[in-house]
Amino acid sequence: MTDIQAHLPHRYPFLLVDRVLEREPGLRVLAEKLITFGEPYLQGHFEGRPLVPGVLLLEMLAQAGGFLESDSLHGAAIFLAGVQDARFKAPALPGDRLRLEVRAEGAFAGMLKVRGVVSCEGRELCTAALLVKRL
Amino acid sequence: MSDLKLRVKEMIIERLKLEGMTPDQIEDGAPLFGDGLGLDSIDALELVLGIEQVFGVKIEDEAAGLKAFKSVQALTDFIAEHAKA
Repeated sequence: MTDIQAHLPHRYPFLLVDRVLEREPGLRVLAEKLITFGEPYLQGHFEGRPLVPGVLLLEMLAQAGGFLESDSLHGAAIFLAGVQDARFKAPALPGDRLRLEVRAEGAFAGMLKVRGVVSCEGRELCTAALLVKRL
Repeated sequence: MSDLKLRVKEMIIERLKLEGMTPDQIEDGAPLFGDGLGLDSIDALELVLGIEQVFGVKIEDEAAGLKAFKSVQALTDFIAEHAKA
């Protein structure tokens, strides 16, 4: 079992990966995020109708993508540089076990492109390509 | 315009979504980055991926990129040189 907090510098309320199930550094990561009514952002998004903001689904993919790196990201200068082809197909709701799958598509000169899918019970909720810059 | 050069320009337009631009608007000798087409580092990665996908040619590192991305002419020459026969 991967030690998530040893690898990612993100902390509450912005650590958005709960488990890493499969990991091939440089190639592919499969991780999970469990959604509950206790998520701080669901208090206001929205009153009486909690659903996970789409930008946070992208952030989940970015954080899961952090596990493509072999080494811990503590102290590393890695930033989100772009988002392409983002699609939000269905809402993520309290009770959902989100599956975060990220694949590396290519890299050049410190810029990495990954493709990610957030799904729940076999249904795609969000797909996007993310560009990540390592300084 | 050579057939390969035209395909290179079409790949650049499609891959970088340069909507409204046509191949004859891209000058053969103009720099791709900076003053010419004004591309950035995300575009560079997109081009690397596009060149590999369309022409089967890999740009392995920044040194190769510096050479290949000098201009459309330089890129066409680079692809012609490295493409498998």
